[in-house]
Amino acid sequence: MKAFTLIGTAMAALILAGCTGGSGSSSSPSVSPAPGAAGATGDFKVALLTPGPVSDAGWSAMAYDGLKAIQIDLSAEINNQEAKDTQIRDAMRSYAQKGYDLIFGHGFEYNEPAIEVAKDFPDTVFVSSSGGQTAANVGAFRFYLEQGFYLAGYTAGLATKSGKVAMIGGDDVPSIRSTFKAFKAGAEAAKPGITVIEVFTGSGQDIAKAKQATLGAISEGADFVIHQANAAAQGVFDACKEKGVWAFGANLNQNDNASGAVVASATIVAGPAFLNLAKSVKDGSFKGGIALMGMDQGAIDFVLNPALQDKLTPEVVTAVEETRAKILSGELTVPKDEF
Amino acid sequence: MNDVIQIWQFAIPIALAAVGEVISQRSGVLNIGLEGTMLGGAFVAAYVGLTTGQPWLGLAAGIGVGIITSLLQAWFVLVRSADQVVVGTAINLLALGVTGTLFRRAFGESGQLLSVPTIPKFDGLDAVMLATPIIAVLAAASLRQTGWGLLTRASGEYPTAVEAEGFSVRRLRLGAMTLGGALAGAAGAYLSVGIVGSFAENMTQGRGFVAIALVTFGRWHPIAAVGAGFLMGGLEWLQFKLQAQGSGLIPFQLLLALPYLAALAVLVVGAKGTRGPAALGQPLRRDA
Repeated sequence: MKAFTLIGTAMAALILAGCTGGSGSSSSPSVSPAPGAAGATGDFKVALLTPGPVSDAGWSAMAYDGLKAIQIDLSAEINNQEAKDTQIRDAMRSYAQKGYDLIFGHGFEYNEPAIEVAKDFPDTVFVSSSGGQTAANVGAFRFYLEQGFYLAGYTAGLATKSGKVAMIGGDDVPSIRSTFKAFKAGAEAAKPGITVIEVFTGSGQDIAKAKQATLGAISEGADFVIHQANAAAQGVFDACKEKGVWAFGANLNQNDNASGAVVASATIVAGPAFLNLAKSVKDGSFKGGIALMGMDQGAIDFVLNPALQDKLTPEVVTAVEETRAKILSGELTVPKDEF
Repeated sequence: MNDVIQIWQFAIPIALAAVGEVISQRSGVLNIGLEGTMLGGAFVAAYVGLTTGQPWLGLAAGIGVGIITSLLQAWFVLVRSADQVVVGTAINLLALGVTGTLFRRAFGESGQLLSVPTIPKFDGLDAVMLATPIIAVLAAASLRQTGWGLLTRASGEYPTAVEAEGFSVRRLRLGAMTLGGALAGAAGAYLSVGIVGSFAENMTQGRGFVAIALVTFGRWHPIAAVGAGFLMGGLEWLQFKLQAQGSGLIPFQLLLALPYLAALAVLVVGAKGTRGPAALGQPLRRDA
């Protein structure tokens, strides 16, 4: 009887269809009005596209928190989904067609698709986190996280005993590369001739690989480790704890991590940036363009962990504060890549 | 020595899952859903380990999830004779969606870096690391020397003969799938409460598929599959060391691919004359 096979296969296919639909977006719009209608009636709608899950406690999570702030403060209707590569254009178009007023793409890779899609949707504003192209309804803000990484590298360079520090990366993307260059520049400024180890795992979700990569770097002598591993960061911190070396947090303030190994964090304070941008779109004052969000706007910070302050000598702390002041005053320009 | 212990520890998830997959495949069931089963085990183990503070309970819960997942799969594959690859793929997608949703429900939409207590280690060794080779030897011995092993292998080679002798292929395959599921659940659980003491969405990152490759690599033999897993683990550690030594001559992407390239080379050179179970992947239809 073929009927049984058919039913079985159909059921499997149904499960398959069910979960691809369910896992892609974490919240679905309650209503999808006719295209154009929503834009006219004034319901403010904001969408967010992220390169990874928003539960990564790092890069994507911070954008999601910004989106939630927009929902609460501007009583906006919000939606978000993961979109990579070829999915980006489709996701942008479908949001724009549903009448979204503002579509965020959290990464430089959303800039080019935004330029392309924005031509067809003049009433929708597209903004990407970093990226070099703009139009009347396309903008970008670039978080100058390199400033925080430079200070972390400077701290590591002053405090290292072995003369070796390490950077553990997840995905190899230009934004991560650029922050690593800044960390390296900071470390070399503090201690010329320092060895800066760089290891990539190829994944921001593989905690085991992040741990193993960190153990590898420590076995080569690194005694300060910074990461760009997002959700896999716990692997980096635990390896540092196990081997008794110190770690830096990245993107968010991770000083209170359970490992107790995080001496300081290079952070992005994204909430106000997202909120201000959404406000300017809502009141119609948005003009496009690229905004550089650095320490002077309070968007980037380098936060020492008060609980571990005694692990750094007062001389180190003073020197780091001096460098911070130089960056703030513009006397020192931290290197950053354009991408 | 330290390096060897460490390689062994990081290789446990793929090695354990591969032993389970060998048993399952020898009975004729290709379990593509290994990845999802491991992910389910990893999540539940981390959750239980975190809420109770007992990593062993977490491991047990992970094994439980593995068994439940394999029973669900068995219903489709054995009772409804559905396509094994389709069902396995569905399990992978289901596990990704369910663990992701539950993780966000439990720890917030923007996630947390979880810190879960891990299984205690003595000189870098723990009970699971010691048990894995024993499980592989036991699996190999039972497949080869016991009546159950003979029947299980027969249902993977020529199931109609097994049926003609009056045994139930369905029941034999169910047993093999349950064992495979339990080991996959344990493998995932060990990843979260044995190695890293944390959880992230999709943290298995393809280890289930690597384990399936190890089965072919190890020619459907449990001990060989574990050995192959250890070899992969060694190459993985080697490439991280090479990256850390930073000659900069070899791009890291190539280094990351090193274990897989090596496995491929061994397959090409060494797989001459290997043959998988003849009835692998074929559903048994009594009424056909």
